[in-house]
Amino acid sequence: METIRTLEWKVGGQQGEGIDSTGEIFARTLFRYGYYVTTYKQFMSRIKGGHTNYKLRATPYPTQHAGDFVDILLALDDETIPINRHELRPGAIVIQEGKETAIREEDGYLLAVFPLKAIATELGNPLAKNMIALGMSGALVSLPVEEFYAFIEKQFEKKGEKVIASNKAAVDKGYALVREHLADRMKRLEPLPRSTERLYISGNEATAFGSFMAGCRFLSAYPITPASEIMEWMAAHLPAVGGTILQVEDEIAGITFAVGAAYAGARAMTSTSGPGMSLKTEALGMAAMSETPIVIVDSQRAGPSTGLPTKHEQSDLFHMLFATHGEIPRIVVYPSSIEDAFYVAAEAFNLAERYQTPVILALDLVLSMNRTTIPRIDAKRVPIDRGKIVTPEEAKKYGEFIFKRYRFTEDGISPRALPGNPYGVHTASSNEHGEDGYITEDPVIRTKIMQKRMEKVKTARLSRPFYVQDGEADVMLVGVGSARGVIEEVARRLREDDGVTVGGLFIQQLKPLPVEELRPYLAGKRMIITVENNYSGQLLQWLRQHFPIHDRSTAITQYDGNPFRVTRVAGEVKEVLDRVRRAQEAHA
Amino acid sequence: MSVELKKPTLKDYKGDQPTWCPGCGHFSVMAGLQRALVNLGLHPHEVIIVSGIGCSSKLPEYTRAYGFHTIHGRALPVAQGAKLAAPEMHVIVTGGDGDGYGIGAGHFVHAVRRNMDITYLVMDNSIYGLTKGQTSPTSPHNFVSKTTVKGNKEYPMDGLSIALANGATFVAQAFSGDVKRMTEIIEAAIKHKGFSLVNVLSPCVTYNKVNTYDFYREHLVDVPEPLPTREEAIRVVKEHGGHVHGILYVEKRPDFQTLLGIDWKMRDIAAGPMDEATIREIEAEFM
Repeated sequence: METIRTLEWKVGGQQGEGIDSTGEIFARTLFRYGYYVTTYKQFMSRIKGGHTNYKLRATPYPTQHAGDFVDILLALDDETIPINRHELRPGAIVIQEGKETAIREEDGYLLAVFPLKAIATELGNPLAKNMIALGMSGALVSLPVEEFYAFIEKQFEKKGEKVIASNKAAVDKGYALVREHLADRMKRLEPLPRSTERLYISGNEATAFGSFMAGCRFLSAYPITPASEIMEWMAAHLPAVGGTILQVEDEIAGITFAVGAAYAGARAMTSTSGPGMSLKTEALGMAAMSETPIVIVDSQRAGPSTGLPTKHEQSDLFHMLFATHGEIPRIVVYPSSIEDAFYVAAEAFNLAERYQTPVILALDLVLSMNRTTIPRIDAKRVPIDRGKIVTPEEAKKYGEFIFKRYRFTEDGISPRALPGNPYGVHTASSNEHGEDGYITEDPVIRTKIMQKRMEKVKTARLSRPFYVQDGEADVMLVGVGSARGVIEEVARRLREDDGVTVGGLFIQQLKPLPVEELRPYLAGKRMIITVENNYSGQLLQWLRQHFPIHDRSTAITQYDGNPFRVTRVAGEVKEVLDRVRRAQEAHA
Repeated sequence: MSVELKKPTLKDYKGDQPTWCPGCGHFSVMAGLQRALVNLGLHPHEVIIVSGIGCSSKLPEYTRAYGFHTIHGRALPVAQGAKLAAPEMHVIVTGGDGDGYGIGAGHFVHAVRRNMDITYLVMDNSIYGLTKGQTSPTSPHNFVSKTTVKGNKEYPMDGLSIALANGATFVAQAFSGDVKRMTEIIEAAIKHKGFSLVNVLSPCVTYNKVNTYDFYREHLVDVPEPLPTREEAIRVVKEHGGHVHGILYVEKRPDFQTLLGIDWKMRDIAAGPMDEATIREIEAEFM
């Protein structure tokens, strides 16, 4: 029997038929079996009906990419095969729900049809047909059936012995069907050392978890895909620690509630996607003008307007970097992995309070909703820093009837008194104001306080503003957010298949862009290639504003709603490299 | 640190010099508010005044207290966020009819039904004053202004009935021509545990020649006691075309924060390392 060390698996069916939970059970089972598991969900903007699928990739090494191919496909509706056929690896097995049992070779794959529903009904539980298919999946890679048992016992603990028994019976049936009909196609997924030092987590969960641990105690938001899970996670966790979320009336209330809570001294955030981000832009300016620290999450989806509400894109970069009228200080961060989402979210609150300005935390649909396997949290990495909040004793020393909330200081950051402080009484203002917060139109004060606001954020830095891989290479692939997952895989493939080394640069802090720190990896290179999910190459344009790379940079873009496939990007990178080589030869 | 403070006086509440036109109704609203706060024994540091944009929204600058002069129409959500984070503070929202019933109308209705313990003073002059005289959501039908040259073809918004219909627990209307009564009403509104709306008829002497002090003196009908039911309150408001004066309706109902039943600790986040025990506990969800 052939031993394998990676598995790419997909289940497809109609929305509302338990496709997600079927995928989750297999993913968590393989995670506990010792594998690094990464998953990707494809779904539509409707509740019932319509094709959905759940992709899983299990690897013996950490990765962020759910893979290009499928080794085993569970086709629980008629659309699964036509929609996903192009991903089948030669020799793949497709298990399809059908009227009668039939096994036959199709063009490039083996089709195994079983009357799953009828078999499940025979077992006494028609709902368990997905569990039969799961059992078949496990059997095809010789996963010990006990791995499923353990999961089933935990998952259905509250539903009682009968439900547990019928699900176990369904899994057993799946194993039996494979042994009876597909024994010659069975492989063995090599057992790996199990680890208790890993988490299986989504980007939204990691973002919420990091925010929570950083002391965020208030989140106001409006439901929107793909950001809602952040609000839902916080809703489940905040009340126990004296905080709350609030599902408010609209996106504008989402940000303005957070501004109010932050003004009053809470660590506060709002979470949204592009359409909500558009609605929030005036209040974003207010947060910056009033020097109120908040964190705004924009989990990007395919725009513009309503766009493709459940599809992936990275097209809000310009919006996050520039949106709102006038000019404001802002910090824009973008975790490059699900693991980093925890730490970057936590640091976002420190940056917001240290620099007293809004921090925009970018995510994208893939980063938000994919789950992957990460190391456990390092509790010491991000200590909480609340910036220049003054105590009553400290405020009293100033001896002011009106506390100068916008006091001019060397670093541009003013001591901040919270409501309730008897010596800190002041008015925060969205109008231009002097040090005391009162409206002014004095051109000298206006100029000076504008400079104070704009310049105070210049030194703001994440502890890891970017990651570099093979930084000495003369061709660099640059990406943000979930693009890191594809770039790492492309680099791996080019090295293994073609013996070519390309560098990877994953920028986590977009504004202020750490120009001097990035320079060694961008200036003087033969070629800079950004890999980004938008039409106009927004990341490339942003980099070109800061580095003289116009004649040796290009963007590989995709804006069809789907994440990149490694194969496509690797192919395009090779074409770019060939072009550069030919140009050099012609020049010589 | 323990702070021992003298009884508050009007002097403690004196803020920046107002820039309102002489005779503006808003002077009376501010006087009534400051007097009410002093009467209630509240110190400026125990109060947050949040406003939107407009003439009336400049009130936080002219009244010394914690304040937030926000953007147009967004005072209510900012104020509610502040109240959630700091429930011990007394939160008062001031703004005009354009701010609250026009650009911020969406927030108004939701603030009403949420019933958080804040007080909303709408300084209603039925005109956009700061932008120099355009028709507002409460301008009368056929009102002539620079933007409705042939008369306003819309009908005025009835904020009182909207509040009553959506479950407001304290609804009143005051008048800038009667500061004594206004002070009593605002005092009662601040004391009320829950969302309190005080619509103040506050004439604009520069741009509105219809809704004047004399007009209101002639038309206002006194409501001496709160009415027994919200249905009755709406009926009385409608019967008099909104020209009523007094506390219209009061209902005792637990406010939003009490209903949530949370042991509020939003602000108690100290600098220092993350709590490792909590991290390990939550990690179990992901294993």
